Amino acid sequence: MAEALFVILSLLMLLGGAGVLFFRQPLHAGMSFIVSIIALAGLFALLSHTFLFMVQIILYAGAVITLMLFVIMVLNVQESVLPDESLQPKTLFIGVLCLAPIVIAVVKTLGTLPFKELYIVPGDFGGIELLGAKLFTTWVLPFELISVLLLVALVAAVILAKQKERG
Amino acid sequence: MIGVQAYALVAMLLFSLGALAVVTRKNIFVIYLGIELMLNALNLLLIALSRYHMGMESGVMALLIIGVAAAEAAVFLSLIVTLYRQRKTLDVDNLRITAGEEA
Repeated sequence: MAEALFVILSLLMLLGGAGVLFFRQPLHAGMSFIVSIIALAGLFALLSHTFLFMVQIILYAGAVITLMLFVIMVLNVQESVLPDESLQPKTLFIGVLCLAPIVIAVVKTLGTLPFKELYIVPGDFGGIELLGAKLFTTWVLPFELISVLLLVALVAAVILAKQKERG
Repeated sequence: MIGVQAYALVAMLLFSLGALAVVTRKNIFVIYLGIELMLNALNLLLIALSRYHMGMESGVMALLIIGVAAAEAAVFLSLIVTLYRQRKTLDVDNLRITAGEEA
């Protein structure tokens, strides 16, 4: 059961990623990104991280995606302003050639770990309690820094959006 | 029988798709989506490792990465809107502001 779910979810996720790579229209790419993100949330649940599963759904499928779709809507992108992107097999090939060693290195390195089956843990592993205990003790400084970063991003977004046209 | 290796393979494949989108596409919006895909692939890898070690540290890291990604989304999208208003294009080849060559 878990194996079947893993295969289905990862296939969906990779198909969504491939859609981002190959769809020409930004809206289609964004929709395929949503598919990828939701399948990824399912994989989080399969790894028994229930809290991160919810965060992924609320924050990505909720907030970020809505923001993206609004931006596409506001921009009102016409066919004529889309860049000319005939598929570049050469760039794609060189990219695959450069990325393959990284992928192989990571998979081989993790392959040296002793095999452990990642079944769904009963109990509260991955719940908000354990995560919060770690977050507010050992990781409290990065957490506060993230809040400052979010404030900076908010101010930056407002300033960029209010900028008058120059020239 | 799914080990951490299967998750690592899937995560790295997703990372490659995102990186390829950044490298090969010219649409700035799709480049943003590629960056998000890479961040999410790293999150999957971190969470698989967290489950493997039965510890929450990587889970906390993944949560912080989600926070960074949210901040990045806000800045990047408002940047896209500003650039589109000024230049009327999504083509990154036309956005060479710093290259000293006004496109």
